[in-house]
Amino acid sequence: MTLGTGAPAQVPAAVRRGGRPHATRADKGAGLTSWQRRQAAGWLFLAPAVLYVLFAFALPIVYNVMLSFERSSPETIASLTAPFAGLANYHFILTDPTTRTAIVHTFEFTAGSLLGQFIIGFALALLFSLRFPGKTIARSLIIVPWLVPLIVTGVIFKFLFQLEGGAVNQVLTDVGLVHHPIDWLDNPHLALLTILIANIWLGVPFFFLLLYAGLQDVPTEVKEAAVMDGAGPWQRLRLVIVPIILPVIEVTVLLGFVFTVKVFDLVIALTDGGPANATQLITTWSYNLSFQQFTFGEGAALNNVLLVLALICAPIYLWLSRSSLKASAGTVK
Amino acid sequence: MTRLKRSRPLRLLCTLGALGPLAVALFPLYAIVVASFESTYTLLGNTYYFWPHSPTLANYRTVIHAQSGHVLTSLLVGLGTAALALVVAVPAAYALAKYRLRVTVLVVSALLVAQIVPSIVIATSLFIIFHWIHLLNSYPGLILADGTYAIPFAILVLRAFFFSLPNEVMQAARVDGASEWQTFTRIVVPLARSAVITVMVFAFLNGWGDFIFALTVLNGTTLQPITLAIYSYLGFYTSDWGAVMASVVFATVPAAVMLVVAQRYIASGLTAGSVVG
Repeated sequence: MTLGTGAPAQVPAAVRRGGRPHATRADKGAGLTSWQRRQAAGWLFLAPAVLYVLFAFALPIVYNVMLSFERSSPETIASLTAPFAGLANYHFILTDPTTRTAIVHTFEFTAGSLLGQFIIGFALALLFSLRFPGKTIARSLIIVPWLVPLIVTGVIFKFLFQLEGGAVNQVLTDVGLVHHPIDWLDNPHLALLTILIANIWLGVPFFFLLLYAGLQDVPTEVKEAAVMDGAGPWQRLRLVIVPIILPVIEVTVLLGFVFTVKVFDLVIALTDGGPANATQLITTWSYNLSFQQFTFGEGAALNNVLLVLALICAPIYLWLSRSSLKASAGTVK
Repeated sequence: MTRLKRSRPLRLLCTLGALGPLAVALFPLYAIVVASFESTYTLLGNTYYFWPHSPTLANYRTVIHAQSGHVLTSLLVGLGTAALALVVAVPAAYALAKYRLRVTVLVVSALLVAQIVPSIVIATSLFIIFHWIHLLNSYPGLILADGTYAIPFAILVLRAFFFSLPNEVMQAARVDGASEWQTFTRIVVPLARSAVITVMVFAFLNGWGDFIFALTVLNGTTLQPITLAIYSYLGFYTSDWGAVMASVVFATVPAAVMLVVAQRYIASGLTAGSVVG
C-alpha cells in the first residue's frame, strides 16, 4: 500500500542503472528524463485497460445504481434516463414475495453448493495426495468438464435428469434405490436440489484442483513428524493438515462463493427458474424482471442487492491477495 | 502421507476409489456423444441406453446446416474476445508488473474486485447503454461485454508471469537503444509467449462459452452464437434430444480442440505465475 510514496525513492537507482545510455535520446525527446519517459510509457501501456475497466465495469455499476431509482418501462429504454422513482423499486423488491424467495433460494443454493463442493473436493484432494496407479491421468481428466460451456452443462443435466428415459432415474431404478422414476425437474420440492446437484458437479473440479495444490505444499516432514508422535489419520488431518492449508481453503471457499452467487446459465437451461419459481435465484429473477417484464428499475434494484452480496467478499479477497498487491515493480519471484 | 509404505492392493484400492468420481465427472460428456448418435425414437422412450441403441447419423444431418452459421459466429466472438484481451491485457499487465506507477495498487485492486461483479449486473446496464450507442446486436458490442470475463483474469495472470521476467532482460534492450515500445513488442512479448497464448485461449473460451451477454445484448435474431442457438433450440424442440445433443457436440468440440492444441503452452503459462490470488 506504500507504493505511491515508495516509488520516488527508487528513481535515482533507476536513473543510475538504465539512464546513462539514454541521455542523448532523452534530450531529443522534448527534454524528458529517462524516468519521465518510462513513466509515460507505463501509463500508455496501462491506458487501454483503465479505459476498458471504466467502460465495462465502473460505468455499468454506476448506471445500475441510477437505474434502480428510475421508473423504467419498455418506452423509456430508448432514452438513457427514465422518470425518478424514489425508493419505489427498492420497496418493490423488499415486499415482492418472488423476490424474497429468490433471495432465500440464493442463500440456500450457495450454502449447499459450497458445502457439497468443499466436502467432495477436499475428499478427492486427500485421495489424490496418496500415490496410486493412474493418478496423473485421472487428475487431468477430472477437470475436463470445464471445457463445456455452462449453458451446455445445463442442457446435459436437463437430459440426464429427465423423468422418463433420463440416465439418473435409470440408474436409480436399476440399482433398486427407487421404484418409480423421480420427477427431478418438475417437482417444486426437488428442483432446487437438482440444480444444486448440477452446480456441485460443476464446482467440484475447481475445489479439487485448488485444495490439491494446497495439500502438495504441506511439508512431508511435518506429516511424518505427526505420524511419529502417534497421531491417527483424523488427528493428522484436523490438527496438522487443515491448519497448514487454511489460507488455501479460505481463498477456495471465497472464490466458490463468488462463483455461486453469480450462477445463471445453469439454472436458465435446467429449469428457467421454475417450476412455479421454485428455482428462481437472484440472478435469474433479476433477468426476468429486466428482460422479460421490462421493469429495468426493479431488476437494477435487485442487481444492487446481488452486487452488495458479492462485494461483501471484496475486502476479504483483497486481504487474501495482499501479497500479490504488494509485489511491486521488478520483484523477481 | 505419500512417504508411508503402502501395500500394492491398498494402492489399487485408491485407483478404484478415484474411478468412481472420475466416472461421475466424465459421464455427462459421454452421454452427449451417445445421445447425439441415438435415434429420436429411442430417446423419446422410457429407457435410457448407455450405448447407442439404434445408432444413426440423422441428428448430425439435421443440425449441420442449422448450426454451422452459429458455430462460425461463436468462433468470431471467441477470436474477438481473445484479440481484445491481447490488446488490452498484455500491455497493462506489463505496466503493472514492471513500471512503478502510482496507480498500480489501485488498478490491481480494481481488477480483483471486477472479477467479483456478477455478469447480470453488467448485462442489465450494458443493454441500455448499448441501445443508446447502437452497439446492441453487434459483434463489437458482444465482444466488449465478453471481455468482462477475460480481461481482469488475463491481466492478473500475465502480471504474475511478468514478475518472473528478470529486469536485466529489459535493461539490456534499453542499453542497446530500444525504445520502451520496442522492448515490449520485440523482447517482452516473445519471452512471455506461453503466458500470452494461455490467457488468449482462456479469453477465447470465455467468448465461445458466453451465454448471458449473448442472451441480453444480442436482442435480435440475426446474430446468434452456438450457446444461444442451443438454448432457443431447447425451447422449441425439447423432444428432439438427438438434435440438441448433436448441437452440443458442435458447441464443445472446437473448444476442446483449442484447449488440446494449446495445452503445451497452457501448462507452462499457468505454472509460471500463481493463478489464484
